[in-house]
Formats: sequence, structure tokens, C-alpha cells
Amino acid sequence: MQVRAINIAAYLLLFVFAVLPLAAGFGYAFMYSIGLTGALQTGLTFEHWQKLFTDDHVLGSFGYSAMIALFSLLLSVSAALFVSLKYPRSFSKGLLSYLIYLPLAFPAMVAAFFFFQFMSKAGILSRIFYRLHITSAIEQFPDLVNDKYGIAMIVTHFFLSFPFFILLFINLYKTERIKEYILLAESLGASKVQSAFKIVVPMLLQKSLHNIILYFIFIFGAYEIPVLLGRSNPEMVSVLAVRKLQRFNLLDIPQGYAIAILYSVFVFALILIMMRKRKLAYDV
Amino acid sequence: MFKPGYIVKVGIGIACIIPILLLFMLSLSKNWVYPNFFPGQVSWQNWKELFTPGNSITLSLLTSLSIALFVAIFSTVGGFVTSQLIAYHAYRKKLLFLAYLPFVLSPVILAVCLKFYFIKMNLAGTTIGVILAQLIIAFPYSIIFFIGFWNQQIKQFQAMVNTLGGNNLYAFKKIIFPLSKPFLLVCFFQSFLISWFEYGLTSVIGYGKVQTLTIKVYQFLVEANIFYAALSCCILILPPVLLLWMNKKFIFREVSDRVAD
Repeated sequence: MQVRAINIAAYLLLFVFAVLPLAAGFGYAFMYSIGLTGALQTGLTFEHWQKLFTDDHVLGSFGYSAMIALFSLLLSVSAALFVSLKYPRSFSKGLLSYLIYLPLAFPAMVAAFFFFQFMSKAGILSRIFYRLHITSAIEQFPDLVNDKYGIAMIVTHFFLSFPFFILLFINLYKTERIKEYILLAESLGASKVQSAFKIVVPMLLQKSLHNIILYFIFIFGAYEIPVLLGRSNPEMVSVLAVRKLQRFNLLDIPQGYAIAILYSVFVFALILIMMRKRKLAYDV
Repeated sequence: MFKPGYIVKVGIGIACIIPILLLFMLSLSKNWVYPNFFPGQVSWQNWKELFTPGNSITLSLLTSLSIALFVAIFSTVGGFVTSQLIAYHAYRKKLLFLAYLPFVLSPVILAVCLKFYFIKMNLAGTTIGVILAQLIIAFPYSIIFFIGFWNQQIKQFQAMVNTLGGNNLYAFKKIIFPLSKPFLLVCFFQSFLISWFEYGLTSVIGYGKVQTLTIKVYQFLVEANIFYAALSCCILILPPVLLLWMNKKFIFREVSDRVAD
């Protein structure tokens, strides 16, 4: 009887905090985007969806977000692979093994604030350049913040994700007994480069694919970092959706909801791919 | 003179510590004029103001702390119970998929889609509303976290207790709870940090009325008050830094759990 009550409570919790918010939130958003609800309801229309696929700004925003996420991950995953394979012991013992955790304690908002103060025209980097006589005035320092290439955003995401991937790879290196595979390969005549590129890197990437996809989704939908360090054209998906939904132009709201739905469908598809490849602890 | 490996390691170490030093330096300042490298006025004045009655940053600290504690306790306990049900369910992958969705979606997009309901229920702009909104991401996280705990071995332990005459409560008290203690602790810390770091949901559902520390940082930035923003940032990163330094092995375990998942 007690067990049944606990089970019912657990199902209720799952429904209230996972299923219901999604169904209700995205149901409302979809209805709004096709003109069936909201202050401006016009009756069933696909006008806002049609605009979405013909608007270069919206599609560009999706592409831009994907590029920022891909580039940030490419940098941090490859740098973390290199460092964790080259110096695995440095991050297990000594001062560096503590320091590497510090960036993980940074909320996205704080990291964005720091890099704004570090990379903006009046920031630390600009002051160093001035002191070294590389620049002679504030305007000579290049735009690294709010620039179209998203340099400050990529650097901030790199700062946050690089330590995470180092710790992940070092941990995988131990738990997957990769050292033993390397010894086996080398005893069979493989060179160090061959064992690194044919065994270690593919194994680490395969085992961490789930985390890499998740990180891609997080960067793709990030808000705090682009809102402080990005610009309005091109802009990241979350910033675009919120700008359309929170600003004063009521005519933009249905399109804002359509963007939110499109973003969610994209994320759902990625999660489906990730879940297919994943084995749960109980199934192992 | 220096080996490349040494330069790489020192570079990583400096890159990890500089943000904290810069934020701390700014939190001690009152002005920082270009092109000066160091601030003009350095004092503990900003920090001392935290102890004056009614200080807005202190109030935000208390708000963040109470919200994060409530979210962490509720999501850890709820996630633990629900994850067991999911882990042993025939449709566990499908149920876990349901838990993944709210956790991975951009919180701010989730918030703008849910805002309508929070307004209708008079929960927008209230602390309870923000707690409920944060639970929508913290609770699924706990489920995902604990899924790795419920393996065949735990199930067999439970079955063994039942076979030897013990009931489910006894199995929980004597076997499952002692085994799960470190997991519960890590999940509590992680859920606490999810809430502590949260900005998107809190800003949309809280309407700026529920002023957590992350909201305060953004507000100071908009006001161009970088010194108070830096002070708020220092307070924001203090608890996670302390937690990490006190017991980094928890995080090692957490990382390995993510991998095991």
C-alpha cells in the first residue's frame, strides 16, 4: 500500500514537473503561432510559420547559433583531448588539479561579465595593449566584444567547457583503462601517434559523445552569454526568441513563439539521437 | 629556458585564477579609469556595505540562498524516488526522454512559453513561482543524475533482503540509503548550484521582482555599476568554489556518473 502511494507520488511529480510544463507551454506557444490564441488571434493561419522560413534573419540566427556552438566545442574538445593526453598526471595531483575546478564554479552570467571586462575596448586586454604601446588610443583596440564573429562568446564558452572536458577525459582515461589498450597496441608494434589517433582519441570521443551532444545543446540555447557579449545581427536563437516575445511590438509575438517551437523540435531531435545510442545503468 | 609543457600548465593555471582575481579587485574599487591598469580607490567599503541593514545585495543573497536550498532539497528527494520508478520501468528510455526535455531546453525559452500560465495562477513575480519554475529544470536533472545509481546490483540487494524476510522499508534503511548517501549529497550540491546559477527562468517568471544574485548582477551591469556587479559576482562564485575546494572528489564521482549514464 505504502509502495503504491510512493509510486503514484513519483508519477505525479514526473507529470507536474516534466510532462505538464512542456505540454502546456509548447501547446500554448504552438496555438499562438498559428493564430488560435492570444491577444491577436486571427483564426487558423500559417502566415507566421511561412514568414519564419522566408526570413533570412531567423534562419541565419539558427545557423549562427549552431556555428558558435560547433566552433566553441571544437576548440574546447580538441584542446582538452590534447592536454589530458599529454599531461594526464598534472590534473590528478598538485595545485593544477584544484585550479582546474575554478571555472566550473562560474555561472554563465559571471563568466560573461568577466570576459566583458577583459576583452572590451576599455577592458584589461586593451589596457595591457596600451601599456605595451601596441595601441595609443582606446578606439584602436579591435572589437572583440559584441562583434559579428562572436569571439568573446566563443572564448567564454571555451573557458567554461575546457575544464569540464579535461576532467571528463582524464576520468575516462582511468575508468576505461585506456593505458592498458595503449600498452597492448604498442606491444603489437603501433607507434605512439598511431595508438593516440587509432585507439585513444576514438575511444574517448565515443564514450563522451553523449556529453558533447548535451554541451552542444546548452551552447546552442545559451542566453546570458550572448545577451551580454553578442550583437543583434546576427544573434543567437534564445536572444532572438526572447526579443520577439518580450518587446513591445505585439505583431512579433506569434513569430517569437514559432521560433521557440522550431528550436524545441531541433533539440528534441538531438535528444532522440542521443538516447538511441545510450545504455542505462540498469541495462548494462 | 622553459619546457613547452611547463608553459602550457602555467598558462592554464593562470587562466583559471585570473577571473577570480580581477573580479575581487573590481569588488574592492570605486573607480577604474582607462588606461590605468589598477583601480584608483581600493578599499573594503563595498564589502562593508553588505553588513548594513537592508543592503540590496545581502537581501539578494538571502533570497538566492533560500530558493536554492528549497529547490535542492525538493528535487533531490523527489528525483531519487522518481528515478527508481523510471529505472525499473519497462519503458524506462521513453520516461527518461520525458525527463531530459525540460532539462536541456533553454530555460529562458521554456520560461517565455510558460509565463502565460504563471500569470494566470498569480505566481509570476513571486518567490513561490520562481521556485516552481526552477524545479522544472532541477527536478528532471535529479532524475537523470540518479538513473545511474539504480543498477542491477542495487535491485539484487533489494531482492535479497526481501527473500530473507525483510520488507521494502527495511531494505531502504539498511541497504539503499547507506549506498545512496554520497549520490544524494552530490545531487543536492548540483541541484543547489543549478538554482544558484539560474538566470533565464528567474528573470522571466520573477519579473525582476524576485531579485536573486544573478538578477542583481545583470541589473548592476545595465546600470553600468561594475563594482557592485563584481561584488555580487564574488558572492555568487564563493559557495561553489568552497564546495569544490572542500571536496573535489564529489565532482570526480559526478563526472564519472555522467559518463556511466
